[in-house]
Amino acid sequence: MKHVFTFDPDRCCACSSCMIACTDQNDIDLKAGEKCFRKTYDTEVAFKEGGIYCAYLSTACMHCEDAPCIAACPVGCISKDSDTGFTIYDNTNCIGCKSCAMACPFGAPRYNGADGKMVKCDGCYIRVKHGMKPACVRACSFGALDCIMEEEYRNSGSDKACNVLIDQANLRKKEALRRWR
Amino acid sequence: MNKIAIIGFGAAGYCAAAAARKCDPDALIDVYTDDGRGPYNPMLATYYVKGAIDYEAMFPFGSLDEIEERLNLCIYRNSAVTGLDGETKTIFLSDGTKAAYDNILISTGAAAFVPPIQGGDLPGVFKMRTAEDGVYLKKLLDSGKIRSGLVVGASWVGIKVVEDLVEHGIPCTLVDGADWAFSIAAFRQTAQRIHRDLEQKGIKLAFGQMLSHIEQEKDGRITAVMKNGCRFTADAIAICIGVRPNAAFLKDSGVAVNRGVLVDERMSTNLPGIYAAGDCCEAFEIQSGERKNIGLWFNARKQGEVAGANMAGRRKAFGGNALLNLAHYLDYDFISIGDVASCRDEDQVYEYEDDRYYIRAVRGEKLKCLNMIGTGESNGVVKSLFIKCFENNQAEMDMTSICHLKGSGFPDSFIDFIGRDQH
Repeated sequence: MKHVFTFDPDRCCACSSCMIACTDQNDIDLKAGEKCFRKTYDTEVAFKEGGIYCAYLSTACMHCEDAPCIAACPVGCISKDSDTGFTIYDNTNCIGCKSCAMACPFGAPRYNGADGKMVKCDGCYIRVKHGMKPACVRACSFGALDCIMEEEYRNSGSDKACNVLIDQANLRKKEALRRWR
Repeated sequence: MNKIAIIGFGAAGYCAAAAARKCDPDALIDVYTDDGRGPYNPMLATYYVKGAIDYEAMFPFGSLDEIEERLNLCIYRNSAVTGLDGETKTIFLSDGTKAAYDNILISTGAAAFVPPIQGGDLPGVFKMRTAEDGVYLKKLLDSGKIRSGLVVGASWVGIKVVEDLVEHGIPCTLVDGADWAFSIAAFRQTAQRIHRDLEQKGIKLAFGQMLSHIEQEKDGRITAVMKNGCRFTADAIAICIGVRPNAAFLKDSGVAVNRGVLVDERMSTNLPGIYAAGDCCEAFEIQSGERKNIGLWFNARKQGEVAGANMAGRRKAFGGNALLNLAHYLDYDFISIGDVASCRDEDQVYEYEDDRYYIRAVRGEKLKCLNMIGTGESNGVVKSLFIKCFENNQAEMDMTSICHLKGSGFPDSFIDFIGRDQH
């Protein structure tokens, strides 16, 4: 059964509990230069017309339906997990060419300097297959992050799926093509 | 029954076969390949040479036998197609065999261009494109007989051969006919940094050097002689001056060919029922709105998927791409996004440098070209923003991208510069 990550920015205060949970779950050795798959942002963005927007965000792989990183990888490290729909990987043959990062509009794949290979969020697919929530979702005290079944998401009428951004990108692409013809 | 022929079996051919099979379980799909190996990315050859991957890892879709069974194809191995009649959709093989199809995909890829020069066939002179080329170089380097190397062509392939030599502890020289490295994608200012960083790693560089011919020395070494008279002597010489789409066999076929085979957004050529995809074609390029040859594994796969679905009766379009060049070598990465040749003296220039990044960006009315060094993890975010500014002027620069760039150490001035098209 496919799963969808949802994120409600109105509920996020960038407390970074999700990052700590991600680091713990994936045994990420920060001292050795490894990077957490999830990133939080507490960022002030100044508008040209004046005023400041305080952005509180938690981002990781959006698990796009038609994930461009899969097609970009020359050695076939990245694939879709048939049960959860998450974009997973096996970096045994990763050559660290960063083609996946060049394909990803969200900067999700990270380069691990220690072994020269790429890593990314796999949605904690093994946890999810065993009926648990991803580590980041479990740690979120404010209900900003969630991971729900695709069907449940559709029925909820929500527009908070992380991969909604991708749908918007595709729409733009179609528009550009129409202009070209 | 839909009879489909796929000519050439790299990423585009494979993805077309997989997509066609998915859409039409009953179609007859014949594949003609001049190779006996499974599809692979030519870029992997140099990674095999340096030992980053095993030989088998070069073939992510498996062997031809495995693919034939998995996708229910009929694969004609070592069978190069030598001609095509576009009107009757008939293909010809060198042994006189011919066969007609309902749909044909041209996915013949590209080949390393080696000019027909004197001495080009001397032992120790090699090119780098195929798995065979990789096996040849690996053996050569592992033999321990190579004490110096020369790479002709500061191209994306040339730099990877330099890396292979450096990783084997072999002193090497890199020469190019242009005035600087990666000249079709790098600004002079970017290249100056690339040169400095290469020289710091002990690589000798020479530019403005056009190869004339290669001579054998009495001591067994070989010398590349330049048109200006300069001579570069080494134990091995790599010629990496560029690649050309494999489209010569289409002469007199009726299929429209520029540098590559011209296709529309459905990857259809000028002739109905004949498609092209991958490194052999010229497809929609977003920045110019024209058709260009962009040899990227990603494009080949996506274009193949689109062509395969269309050959099986579906309607699918390839969204196009921007000109992209990513070089990753010796713990260094350089990306160029957009068309450096479109930049003019009167354009606005943005430049930034710190200990992590070097960025040079040029815009006229819109962004034209970005060069970035050291930004590997953020390249996709910037590329996506670049493409968005051509796709939709009204698109807002999204907060996630802004936060990512700020959080990754990009200065606000850069975000302002690339976001100027957006509201």
